[in-house]
Amino acid sequence: MHGRVKMRAQFTKTVMDIGEDEKVVLLVGDIGVWGLRHFKEKYPTRFYNIGICEQSMMSLSAGLAMAGLIPIIHSITPFVTERCFEQIKDDFCYQGLGGNIVSVGSCFDYAGLGCTHHCYSDIAIIRALPRTQIIYPASEIEFDLLMKQTYNNNKLTYFRLPQKKHSYKFSQDQIKFGKGIKVSEGKDITVIAAGPQLENVLKAKVDLENENIFPEIIYIHTIKPLDKDIIRNSAVKTKRVLTIEEHNILGGLADEVSRNLEDMGGVAISRMGVNDEFITDYGTYEEICKSIDLTPEGISKKIRMMVNE
Amino acid sequence: MRGAEEDLKKLRKDIIEMVYKSKEGHLPSAFSILELLFVLYGDFLKYNPRNPEDSNRDIFILSKGHGSQALYAVLAHYGFFERTNLFSFCKFDSPFGGHPDRNKVPGVEASTGSLGHGFPMALGMALAFKIQNKPNRVFVLIGDGESEEGTIWESTMLALNLNLDNLIVILDKNKSQYYAYDHNHVKIWKSFGWHTLEIKDGHNLNEIRNVFQEINKSEHDKPKIIVAHTTKGKGISFIENNREWHHRALNEEEYDKCMEELK
Repeated sequence: MHGRVKMRAQFTKTVMDIGEDEKVVLLVGDIGVWGLRHFKEKYPTRFYNIGICEQSMMSLSAGLAMAGLIPIIHSITPFVTERCFEQIKDDFCYQGLGGNIVSVGSCFDYAGLGCTHHCYSDIAIIRALPRTQIIYPASEIEFDLLMKQTYNNNKLTYFRLPQKKHSYKFSQDQIKFGKGIKVSEGKDITVIAAGPQLENVLKAKVDLENENIFPEIIYIHTIKPLDKDIIRNSAVKTKRVLTIEEHNILGGLADEVSRNLEDMGGVAISRMGVNDEFITDYGTYEEICKSIDLTPEGISKKIRMMVNE
Repeated sequence: MRGAEEDLKKLRKDIIEMVYKSKEGHLPSAFSILELLFVLYGDFLKYNPRNPEDSNRDIFILSKGHGSQALYAVLAHYGFFERTNLFSFCKFDSPFGGHPDRNKVPGVEASTGSLGHGFPMALGMALAFKIQNKPNRVFVLIGDGESEEGTIWESTMLALNLNLDNLIVILDKNKSQYYAYDHNHVKIWKSFGWHTLEIKDGHNLNEIRNVFQEINKSEHDKPKIIVAHTTKGKGISFIENNREWHHRALNEEEYDKCMEELK
């Protein structure tokens, strides 16, 4: 739970900074009101708790953008993406307007609350809309820098904030919108990780290197637009690519990576994530990860299989 | 007034022409709102057709986007673009689609089509003007059928709570909704706490003007709605209130009949 508090706390800090831009308006769907109280105190005319009506909140935010303002729309992942998909499509993307959606509770973060509160299709649906950008940060510095780099670039930018973080420390100049980060050099397989799963990949790497398997690890915080070059340059070398994400294996990082490798012959591609099924168990985030092999052991096993094939 | 009646006949002919040539469009939905738009743009809305992006302008959003043909004809009439351009309606490279596109047509403020979007977008623009301390007003026209969408009611509650007294909704009660359910819109919106007015005959220019003037004079610290009773397909005898015509193309014989009635 600690991780969630940190990412949300970073959201409140980052919007305080961005709020200095008088065009920025923050709208929440009846969540985070306490955490964002300082924003409300400092910018009282630019904070709105719109209530539990995400579709209207989305269209209303598009109206603000039409009048030249920059909305930041905040709620829980399925409600601020799947529920108001048509509003994002028609009222932001088709109109040609810019805005920012910041969701919390990604994938199965709300493990015990069941499928209505899980969301493994958000990246797939938003990715399929023209004029969108998708940013999936899993440490505070990533969110802070990427939001500051993109919030006013007149695109619809979706920030997916996970509850958990990875512990890898990036330097400030490593974090650039649209650019992947090579976390470790390797030669046998390219492992492309998004979100908190970087942590499990790094743990898997220690065991694998003891077995003389050297994965090249690429971390992706910007799913769209994807850093095509970093992935292709690695795939040419290793000839094996594995994607790892907390999302349906259909429609997310895996598809975006595959799409960018489809003209390259001789590369074996595989994917790990939610296996196109509803996760109907409850329990904890860790228990659900384990049930779909998103653990250091599960990832090592998959990599061994691919390398030894 | 006689001049206005002639203008409206001309606009109806233009709309018939658009729909006949393209074999596309929603003729009856355009005819029910024609007088409302004619008076709104003629006497009440603040805008500059030579500078459609003028920052001092009032905003009009056609939330029931399928009535686009009336909006295009009225925008042309008031000088936003050449009238002759209208007749490319729904052709491959025309700016004038079956639903309006803000990025293609001067004077179109929001791209609409899917129902229940324009209303909350209008709230956003009205809120933006409040944030920016600007006096601009936002008018939005919705259909009675559209009023069944959930976002209409979310937004109805929201507009009141956000004190959007610069928002004026016009409801085109053309009774197409009667195919499903009828609702007492006046009673409902009053019960939500909105300043609610009614136009008994949404094709009577004097009555439309009087009610719009009342809005201008009112100092109610509330969002406003005008429920306008209209006739779907107004002006053509065989199309009026005839459900077959909601989305239908005209053949040559029907076209001739329409033009004969509009003589």
